[in-house]
Amino acid sequence: MSPIALIAIIIGVPAILLLAYVFVTGSTSLRRYILTRILLTLPMVFILGTLVFFILRVLPGDPVSSALGPKGTPEMIASIRAQLGLNDPLIVQYGRFLGNMVTLHFGNSLVGGHRPIIDEMSERFPATLELIIPASILSLIIGIFGGTLAASKRKKVTDYAFRIYAVFIYSLPVFWFGLILQLLFGVKLGWLPISGRIDPIIGTTLKTYTNIYSIDALISGNWPAFFSVVKHMVLPVVTLGLIQSGLFMRMTRINVIETMQADFIGAARARGIREHVLIYGHALKNAMIPVITLIGLQVAILLAGAVLTETVFSLPGMGSYLVERISARDYNAVQSVITVFALLVALISLAVDVIYSLVDPRVRY
Amino acid sequence: MANLKEKLPVTPPEGTTWEVELKQVGFVRKLLMARRWYGADWWFVAVSGVFVLIFIIVALVPGLFAPYSPDALVGPRFLAPGAYADLSVLIVPANSSVNELKDLAVPENGDRPTMAVVQGESTAGDLNTQAQNIDEQLKDQAGGLRLRPVFDRYTSLADALQAVVNGTDRAAVVQQKEFANIASKYPSLREASSLTGAKVAGGFIMGTNDIGQDVFSRLLWGTRIALIIGFTSSLLSLFLGVPLGLLAGFIGGMFDRLLSLVMDSLYAFPGLILAIAITAVLGPSMLNIIIAIAVLYIPTYYRIVRGQTLTVKEEVYVEAARSIGARRTEILARYIFPNVIPSVAIIFSVNVADAILTGAGLSFLGLGLPPTIADWGIDLARGQRFIQSAWWMITFPGLAILLVVLSFTLMGEGLTEIFNPKLRDR
Amino acid sequence: MSDNILYSVRNLTVEYKTRGGAVRAVDDVSLDIRRGEILGLVGESGCGKSTFGKALLRLHDGPASIPTGELWFDGRDLMKLPIQEMPKIRGAELGMVFQDPMTSLNPVQSILDHLTETIQAHEPKVSNAAARARAEELVERLGIRHERIKEYPHQLSGGMRQRVMISLALALRAKLVIADEPTTSLDVIVEAKFLDLLKELQQEFGLTILLITHNIGVVAEICDRVAVMYAAKMAEVGSAEVVFGNPKHPYTQGLLNSVPNINLDAKELYKMGGEPPSLLHPPSGCRFHPRCPFAMDICTQEEPAFQSVAGEQLAACWLYQKKGDHQPSMKKEVSRG
Repeated sequence: MSPIALIAIIIGVPAILLLAYVFVTGSTSLRRYILTRILLTLPMVFILGTLVFFILRVLPGDPVSSALGPKGTPEMIASIRAQLGLNDPLIVQYGRFLGNMVTLHFGNSLVGGHRPIIDEMSERFPATLELIIPASILSLIIGIFGGTLAASKRKKVTDYAFRIYAVFIYSLPVFWFGLILQLLFGVKLGWLPISGRIDPIIGTTLKTYTNIYSIDALISGNWPAFFSVVKHMVLPVVTLGLIQSGLFMRMTRINVIETMQADFIGAARARGIREHVLIYGHALKNAMIPVITLIGLQVAILLAGAVLTETVFSLPGMGSYLVERISARDYNAVQSVITVFALLVALISLAVDVIYSLVDPRVRY
Repeated sequence: MANLKEKLPVTPPEGTTWEVELKQVGFVRKLLMARRWYGADWWFVAVSGVFVLIFIIVALVPGLFAPYSPDALVGPRFLAPGAYADLSVLIVPANSSVNELKDLAVPENGDRPTMAVVQGESTAGDLNTQAQNIDEQLKDQAGGLRLRPVFDRYTSLADALQAVVNGTDRAAVVQQKEFANIASKYPSLREASSLTGAKVAGGFIMGTNDIGQDVFSRLLWGTRIALIIGFTSSLLSLFLGVPLGLLAGFIGGMFDRLLSLVMDSLYAFPGLILAIAITAVLGPSMLNIIIAIAVLYIPTYYRIVRGQTLTVKEEVYVEAARSIGARRTEILARYIFPNVIPSVAIIFSVNVADAILTGAGLSFLGLGLPPTIADWGIDLARGQRFIQSAWWMITFPGLAILLVVLSFTLMGEGLTEIFNPKLRDR
Repeated sequence: MSDNILYSVRNLTVEYKTRGGAVRAVDDVSLDIRRGEILGLVGESGCGKSTFGKALLRLHDGPASIPTGELWFDGRDLMKLPIQEMPKIRGAELGMVFQDPMTSLNPVQSILDHLTETIQAHEPKVSNAAARARAEELVERLGIRHERIKEYPHQLSGGMRQRVMISLALALRAKLVIADEPTTSLDVIVEAKFLDLLKELQQEFGLTILLITHNIGVVAEICDRVAVMYAAKMAEVGSAEVVFGNPKHPYTQGLLNSVPNINLDAKELYKMGGEPPSLLHPPSGCRFHPRCPFAMDICTQEEPAFQSVAGEQLAACWLYQKKGDHQPSMKKEVSRG
């Protein structure tokens, strides 16, 4: 079973069950909300897909001849063009594209071994997952606690220190930060490796199921592999995670400050509820709700950062795949990758909205 | 309709008396008084504003500050910051007219120039080789000049230099590094040129890169690229996004819904990746990068402006104006637009910061500018290959990006605190 | 301190630091609140009554401070306590009901959680079950079916939310309840029911209530005594009958005249001239003098003392005092202990 299918099942089945549960037990307004959100996702994917299509088709340059390069004879070019249906009218091509997108039919790569793109993506996607999931968790933890701490010590040194940190981290180019970490910890101090997902020698001992190396290592009890993966992933995850934390910190801080000025906080204070309970219990809970929607938006920035991080640390993920394929003029692959990204963003956005509806009782009841 | 102007209600009346008094105070006074009120945020904006100004000046005239042209091969490869090259240089008296080795050539029968060298150093050999090369060239030329120096060998650098000071020798050829160490003891001497005519470098403060270009000069010239990309794309986004947002919020209806759907989808999509896609197809050039990045930020302006338009539209004073017959364009211009300006200013500064980051990211990936342009992203990509040996190649361009982006972001952050009434104490 | 005075406020000042300078929202105000009474505190918007109410719990907005004043509550001066001790008193002995129940309740917290949190914050030993039982009993008493206790604020009506607010103030049997404009956001019928409820509860629980409002009609309905504030200062205090029947301070007189009376002829509505003064640069002398029909020279020069004009009716007006004619100030009446 291909790794992507496995991952899809592991994530998909509980997700669908959860959705069903929420749907059945929720109020009518909640059901309406969820249905609306699902229906709105479709236009979004549609629009993004159309955008991708137009960008890659309706612009100068013939992808096939650039892909084949000087080796391409006119006959080869013509035959491949016919094969890919590039001579059909644009509308037909567009229709076919939409159909393919819905069925996830990505076709083959234009260069190299002409492998099915879906196979290539299956190999690369888990690597990206292994990067972005820990990075997100890290950024959330730092961002939310830092932001709340800064809000609680408003106008004092801690507040300004955190604000400067947040702004600083936000201004830091993620790829440069990665390079500096490589320089410091890899080259100068020699503590951590600077590229790859796992030590190549140890890597040969690893049996892969999901292609997420850390999970595979845990499943098969391969401890040396596990630690090797952890060592390799520390720098990339810290790079990406720290950069992301800046925005969460700013948002949380602003939301907590605004919430603290709400009337119900003053009312609770008048009942003798202590200050730290007010901040961490009441204000934070209320402030968190808009932050959840922020997580949805952050995925986009996360993916962009992943592209750069993977390039810096030579991780074979979807991001570096995209960059490689562009340099190689493999438009089929580029189109597929961007489509997958669009689908990913749409789905996560949907998921976030559903979670939001569960958390905010004003929507739920 | 002229008298309608007088009848339109003014934007909500000012607050208490002290605000009215404030109006009479001059602008500079206001600026200084603002310092007291806004505290640290004023400093954020002021300091970052100064930095931004510096960067803009550097970007306008990099030639003024950069010691070398960014493309020139000015030194040996991989020279560490501040290090002097292993270069042989010509040392002459300060007032001598000799500027390079060729200047010592004399007519066929003239006095052959005496030159001081240090015994055992490779400089003597270099001098010999180079003098012969030049001599060969001169032989073929008209003018009858020859270069056949007489070598005076000394046991120490000090002796060799002293000979030039005394006038015993016309020039000395020594290691640049060694001369630099004691140059202050010989005020009557100066470095003329390097033996081969390659640009004499008094140490490059940020070192040289993999093909011998001065990192510092490239840094300064790169400012221009970064700021051009940043400002142009942001302005483009602004001029497209703001009117669209105003119109969508004001007109509403189907137009608004459709446009918002498109904008939301764009906004949700990873910016860099969209930019990558656009530049990949359009091809690497500065204009294409600017266009790609501009497209990225249109939704941001659109959403904020649209949101504000919707809010202001519902305000009572707008209703009042409408009820006495103000035209829609007037409402748009007099009430909605002025309320929107502070937010747009904030977005703009953060936008420039982000655009510079994205642009650098694009060129780092090799997808943006043609590799011949001096750009921070490109330099970083090159530096990555040599991270093990030349740490300065990645450190300085990255620091430059950080500083510029930081300045703009700080300015935006400070302005946000100042303009957002909810964040101020009540 | 006399046994029937629950809360004696002495020379309280609450000051804000603004960009224009220091503003006193409450300026040297003294007031006695008697056990078991309903005391109405009236005044125009911005006169300082809300700030005063909050200050009784030593609560104020960020940039404000209490530079001077004594808050003698039940025998001790709250101003002398370290500020960390105040949360113990707030909610337990002093309760507050706020104006807008929609925004005063946490939208993501159920009613039950509001109540149990309050109970357990003051009595940590109480178990969840016991706290819940008390909460249910309390809301039932206030006319809310106890099944609804798990609901969220937005699911209740305005009147019910306000009753939840009262229940929160009563959860620990507070001695003094300060109600800050409690009926302003309610419509007339709900308001009437609310006031009835208030009076019932006062008798049942032996509450003392400070009712802060700008609505004189409400005060007339249920208050025993009335205090009138103007421009951060106390203008007049007395029993409701006396103040409404025979107002001494010109401001009180103007206030009462301004209330539209459906029984009178269709004369033009009385309107007090002028506007409330800026608290940043208040008028010299008596702050009401620019608008006072009886203003005399001395009113522009010196502030009148706040003292008795007729038995237990106190007012700050030169009409009833002479320069140098000060009766022993209220300050001296307070005996320690």
